[in-house]
Amino acid sequence: MENTGKPASVLTARAAGLVGCTRCGRVHDQGVAFCLRCGSALQSRDTLALQKVWAWWWAGLIAYIPANIYPMLRMTQFGRPHESSIMGGVIDLAQHGDLWVAFVVFFASIIIPIGKFIAIAYLAWSVKKGIRTRDVGRLHMYEIVEFIGRWSMIDVFVVAILTALLQMDFIVTVSPGIAAFSFTVSVVCTMISAQSFDPRTIWDTEKETPRV
Amino acid sequence: MSDQQPSELDLQPIKRSFWRNLSPLWAVPLLSLVLALGLAWQSFSDRGVLIEILFDEASGVTAGETLIKYRDVTIGEVERVDFTEDLTKVIVYARVNKAVVPYLDEDATFWVVEPEVSARGISGLSTVLSGVYIQGAWDDQIGTAKTTFDGASTPPSVLPNYKGTRITLRAADGQMVSAGAPIFYRGLEVGRLGTPRLTSTGDAILIDAYIDAPHDKLLNSATRFWDTSGFSVSFGSGGLALNVESIATILSGGIAFDSIFENGGSISTSAVFDIYDEEAEARRSIFVGRVQNGVAVSVAFGESVSGLTPGAPVQFAGIEVGEVSEIRAQVNDENPDQAITLLASLNLDPLRLGMPNDATTEETIDFLRVSVENGMRARLATSGIFSSSLIVELVMIDDTPEASLILRGEDEPILPSVRSNIPDFTATAEGMIERINSLPIEELLDQAIKTMASIEDLAADPDLRTVAPATRTLLEDTSALINSPDLQAIPTDLRATITDLRTITEELRSADVSGTLTRALTAAETTANNLSTASENVPALIEDLRTLTAKANSLEAEALITQATTFLASADAVINTDGARALPQSLTDALDEVRLAVAELRGGGAIDNLNAALNSAQAAAESIDVAASDFRVTMADLPRLSEQLKGVLATAERVIASYGNRSDFSDETIRALRDVSDAARAVEALSRQLERDPASLLLGR
Repeated sequence: MENTGKPASVLTARAAGLVGCTRCGRVHDQGVAFCLRCGSALQSRDTLALQKVWAWWWAGLIAYIPANIYPMLRMTQFGRPHESSIMGGVIDLAQHGDLWVAFVVFFASIIIPIGKFIAIAYLAWSVKKGIRTRDVGRLHMYEIVEFIGRWSMIDVFVVAILTALLQMDFIVTVSPGIAAFSFTVSVVCTMISAQSFDPRTIWDTEKETPRV
Repeated sequence: MSDQQPSELDLQPIKRSFWRNLSPLWAVPLLSLVLALGLAWQSFSDRGVLIEILFDEASGVTAGETLIKYRDVTIGEVERVDFTEDLTKVIVYARVNKAVVPYLDEDATFWVVEPEVSARGISGLSTVLSGVYIQGAWDDQIGTAKTTFDGASTPPSVLPNYKGTRITLRAADGQMVSAGAPIFYRGLEVGRLGTPRLTSTGDAILIDAYIDAPHDKLLNSATRFWDTSGFSVSFGSGGLALNVESIATILSGGIAFDSIFENGGSISTSAVFDIYDEEAEARRSIFVGRVQNGVAVSVAFGESVSGLTPGAPVQFAGIEVGEVSEIRAQVNDENPDQAITLLASLNLDPLRLGMPNDATTEETIDFLRVSVENGMRARLATSGIFSSSLIVELVMIDDTPEASLILRGEDEPILPSVRSNIPDFTATAEGMIERINSLPIEELLDQAIKTMASIEDLAADPDLRTVAPATRTLLEDTSALINSPDLQAIPTDLRATITDLRTITEELRSADVSGTLTRALTAAETTANNLSTASENVPALIEDLRTLTAKANSLEAEALITQATTFLASADAVINTDGARALPQSLTDALDEVRLAVAELRGGGAIDNLNAALNSAQAAAESIDVAASDFRVTMADLPRLSEQLKGVLATAERVIASYGNRSDFSDETIRALRDVSDAARAVEALSRQLERDPASLLLGR
């Protein structure tokens, strides 16, 4: 394979007059409307992909704002209520000396979602604008975003488990706050946003650049 | 690079309009936006109103944690705690629910709820774990809303929307009550007290009292309040009574009330009630009002009424028929001997006297007049065994001098009285005086006088006169001493004393017994001491007499006469000593003191305080003890005296025996010596009696 490692020489299926089935993977000639094997609709490029990405992206971002402002957790300990937002919880943990736990929470609840937003926005923007860059890198970025997306739910899981376990009436009671719901919505939206992205478009930018 | 272009493929999609190109998915972020905005708007609109509460101190109030509660429901939270500019107060900024804000007007009050352990129980226990919270209270009227409030340091006595009646209580002493003390009605807590405060003049304590609805209906003009603080021990005609309401009242005080009579009128909201010290007093306070058609009569008492107080009951055969309403002195024009009479006004209840319900005053007075003609008299009586307080008794006395109800026109008629017959402690005192009276002092003195008379006879004998004129002179001196008015006056004085003491017992009936007794015993003690001093000189005289007889026994007549002269000289000297002279004087002094004591008793007032009486009794007992020991010392001398007299007798008999014949002289001498012997026996008998039972003199047994 001489061409290995030379991104400029990537030949896309579209350029080759082919179209792949996204469900079963069978390759058809262009012009075939439905997959001959599984019957799903064949489309060389999802024309609405970017719109979907952006729609979900915005929805996730909007949901992310109350997720950070409102309390994630409402804990009533001996009749004394205590509410903590995500950032407040991180600061509380850090002040108590649990730096590692604070870092994990901070990473899972702040870094990852924000990183995801940035990554998806960058992918969508670069595809739209046809920015020339290392395509494999973008593909890797896309794969990481898709993989890591589910781990953002760790916060929600923690709240759900605590709520289920700590129901001891007067001694301690935990209930989820508005932020927990918002955060869930945000994570789900960003996941769908990432899923909506059509990674095939990454390669299209190459097509428009003059080939050597 | 080149113009060579691939043939134009119709790959280019048809140009679609922007709207047709728009994915319906854009509804998702729109929805999300709407939700987020909705959330923001909701939380902003629910944010509540920031109010400021000023506290002197805000112990335990923490920003972001301390809650604001109304009726124990959270309505807000403290946002910030700060100081005023001059640092004199703490400002608590709290955000409260919008719903309650309109009610936060002038009467809204806030206070910090802390755990409190008091006599009335434990409150605010939940705050031990959850921390303090700020409780608010206001009424159900929407007023001009405020945002700045003064916080109270303690919970208000009543909440602003209190249902009940507020009245004012007045007390002379604020010690017995404290803020929040309970008010009881028949033992049930129906209200509580506010904070006591002084009147502007400072002569009384005013306390707001709150009687909860519906119990405030019990309040009327017949209501009387009394103090149930702590416990009360009363010691009266009913015996010893200990009243304890509850532990809480012991520590923090309490007030009880009741309607004392029926059909009390309604009260105004600004009604002021007095707090009486005890229930009985409260009930008595309106006794006059309770007696329908109460008939007022007066009783003139010829004796001291000390111990009789207004409010004392009037009893007829043990049944209370009225009470003493007033005691006053009145100048009596008719009776010059007793210029001032003591008039006690009695308020008699005709119903209790057995009169019909609609009896008029005239009918009642007529009834009383008939009763008096039948022998009904008023008399003072003690209300209890140990009590010095007196009551008035109406008694039927059969064999009493004629008397009648003195009608005085408009004034109260005067009910005749008889002297009281108070049989208790005074009787014992009387018995003791009788014992003193029955002592053979007079006998002893008679014996002494007889002895001296015999000695005088002896001296008057011609035989003896020839022998020793000086002896006769001495004997005359002795006789003069014995016959001296001072010495002669002793029995009379003693009798007078006893008479006086009898008078004392009479006086004791109207005066405080114990106090009088103490003074009498003090005087008696002084007398005993004086007697003791006087008797000290007697042994010396006896000693000389013995020396003389010893000489006489061994020597002839001339020598005897010389010795006798010497003895008599020394006897004279003894007699002339201050001690001997002081004997009658001391006795007189003692008697004077007794008399003085009696005089004091006549004018003395009564001590109606029980404590004082008991102290006096104790002092009396101590005085008796001292007097007894003094008396015992004196008595110890008596046997010695009798021994010495016996010795004299024996010696003298031996002298006479040495004369050998029964001459006139010796007969006279023997008679004289027998008299001496009798005297010795009398002294001995007295001393034995006293030795056997010294207490008999004092205790009268």
